[in-house]
Amino acid sequence: MAASKTTTPAAAPRALVLGGNRIPFARAGGKYAHASNQDMLTAALDGLVARYGLQGERIGEVAAGAVLKHSRDFNLTRETVLGSALSAETPAYDLQQACATGLETVVSLSNKIRLGQIESAVAGGVDTTSDAPIAVSDRLRRALLDLSRARSVGQKIAAASKIRPKDLAPATPRTSEPRTGLSMGEHQALTTAQWGITREAQDEIAFASHQNLAAAWAAGFFDDLVTPYRGQSQDGNLRADTSLEKLAGLRPTFGLGLDTPATMTAGNSTPLTDGASTVLLGNDAWATAHGLTPLAVVVDAEAAAVDFVHGVDGLLMAGAFAVPRLLARNGLTLADFDYVEIHEAFASTVLTTLAAWESETFGRERLGLDGAFGTVDRARLNVHGSSLAAGHPFAATGGRIVATISKELHRRRTAEGRPVRALVSICAAGGLGLTAILEAA
Amino acid sequence: MTLPTTLRTVTLPDVPGLGGVYARGAASAGRLAVTRRVGRAPAGLPEVAYEVRGVDVDPTHLTDYQHLLGEPGSDVLPAGFVHVLAFPLATALMARTDFPLSLLGMVHLSNVVTQRRAVRLGEVLDVRAWAQDLRPHRSGTQVDLVTEVSVAGELVWTGTSTYLSKGDSNGESDAGPREEFVAPVPTGQWRLAGDVGRRYAAVSGDRNPIHLSALSAKALGFPRAIAHGMYTAARALADVGAARGEAFDWSVEFAKPVLLPGTVTVRVAADDEGFAFTGWDAKRTRPYLTGRVDPL
Repeated sequence: MAASKTTTPAAAPRALVLGGNRIPFARAGGKYAHASNQDMLTAALDGLVARYGLQGERIGEVAAGAVLKHSRDFNLTRETVLGSALSAETPAYDLQQACATGLETVVSLSNKIRLGQIESAVAGGVDTTSDAPIAVSDRLRRALLDLSRARSVGQKIAAASKIRPKDLAPATPRTSEPRTGLSMGEHQALTTAQWGITREAQDEIAFASHQNLAAAWAAGFFDDLVTPYRGQSQDGNLRADTSLEKLAGLRPTFGLGLDTPATMTAGNSTPLTDGASTVLLGNDAWATAHGLTPLAVVVDAEAAAVDFVHGVDGLLMAGAFAVPRLLARNGLTLADFDYVEIHEAFASTVLTTLAAWESETFGRERLGLDGAFGTVDRARLNVHGSSLAAGHPFAATGGRIVATISKELHRRRTAEGRPVRALVSICAAGGLGLTAILEAA
Repeated sequence: MTLPTTLRTVTLPDVPGLGGVYARGAASAGRLAVTRRVGRAPAGLPEVAYEVRGVDVDPTHLTDYQHLLGEPGSDVLPAGFVHVLAFPLATALMARTDFPLSLLGMVHLSNVVTQRRAVRLGEVLDVRAWAQDLRPHRSGTQVDLVTEVSVAGELVWTGTSTYLSKGDSNGESDAGPREEFVAPVPTGQWRLAGDVGRRYAAVSGDRNPIHLSALSAKALGFPRAIAHGMYTAARALADVGAARGEAFDWSVEFAKPVLLPGTVTVRVAADDEGFAFTGWDAKRTRPYLTGRVDPL
């Protein structure tokens, strides 16, 4: 009689954050002006490999992405792996969920680890606005494709004759939402006005971001999280010497056409940034075998989306819906979190999210709760600074946040010997939001 | 809408091309001016309905329309695309020598479409058009052009386009003073490039010179080219999106032409019955168009 195989699964493995590495973020047109997405992602990945001794290692899977991606980079992550010090037998895939790309690579790879499909992974993201892809116009593209399909001379002439001089003008990536024609800043200006967020409150968020990030750099917190690149050794957007007075002196740039006073400036909005980040993930067995210290557990995640097209909710408000669902599923409240990381797309994105959670009406009518969802203790918010100070290379922001807060969770747990949790919320184009719970391992 | 029994149906072999229709319209406008001077201008509407049977849809034409208007590239014909297929028949009626108003210079005031069910690529369409309800307007004379589209005897789409002929007023005003416009909270904006009129002309066949270039528009009294009203109405319909369902009423009133290039600030939002849309000039706080899309 043949031995019967068992399909009963063992206890699900934990998905652990074991480390992270990024390159300093640079302002667009700065030190990475001529570096490609693949260049920067390779630099961040090779820094991770060097930091954790992974040369020649076959990692379970590497997932990364870029928001602004040239079509020739169809296999960006695999090409990056092939050019890195990892084993050439490491599989990889590209992923894209606008500004949530980086966090989604962490979430989906963690799920594979929890399912036992892989034991180790590298999550990542990269973006360049300096080396952005430029496409040909739709009319030229179509004419060229028709031309390539044409067989006879007559067909070729007919296809070529459709090309007009103005079709030759390049098409640069659009910064506006395809369905509304409004830029992200203009959308957020509507949300800012809807929630009555003041200029002062926004400038305070921006000021705190620069103060906190500068303090973290000064304390050497990023020394084992960042590899210098192309002469950039700190985040290029950081203004350690900025002040509330300087921020107050900036002219508003978004919401100029609204009835309410415009409050959003270059100081309380993220600048265009170039950079890349990576996060090392694995299960307990893989971590032990490689002598690595688990920093944090990826506990759970929740994505949400809003109908901003018809003005139901603000473009960047999906996190306000995802977090209550995520916390309810895990039996947690905002008070259970020692750290809250809300991506600073704009200072007012953070503030409108907090305002929604503090609103009785929003809690009842939009979240289906008995009242307000809750209040975030500001002392726990973006404690190492966030995108306003560090900059925001779209797909790289998730990896920056996860690596930074995982290190902090481990430090805090080691110091206090109790469970320590962090909540991460990242808003994205298309009305998307992705949120996750991390807990010190 | 039912076909008035007094009308004689004339079956045409094909939906006429609009280029030729406009040429005939211009010619009949000249005749109309002459006959009016001698006091023999037609007083009523032509007692005829035009009909074309067996209209096929070209998939490339559908794709081009969907891409330009931002409709999903499905095999369902957008309601505005059905208008594009059917309306030239109504335009041909307006170009008849016995039509009492001159085709060139007609202003599209409003449009009401009832889409009874989804019409799909591959269905063969029968189109019928007639004019009705010639009546006074505060600045001229208005008339309804009714277009019906059927598939195998089933009425699937009805459109009523109301046009104004300025200056030929044969009665007093039918409307009170205009309400003051209050701009709502925007949900988006359309940045319309200078070639939007030419691009919609390419998919709609409506090459009325007022849409094509500043020069040709100036010749007809506009400072620059203006967007087709149905282009803006169809953009609003596309903005409503899938929530409109497969059967709906789609109505629009055009308040002011959109000069090209130009920016239309828009609000497209749900209310108790369906969706309301407004497009306006944010600088001057003046409306371009208002309308509704209500699922049936």
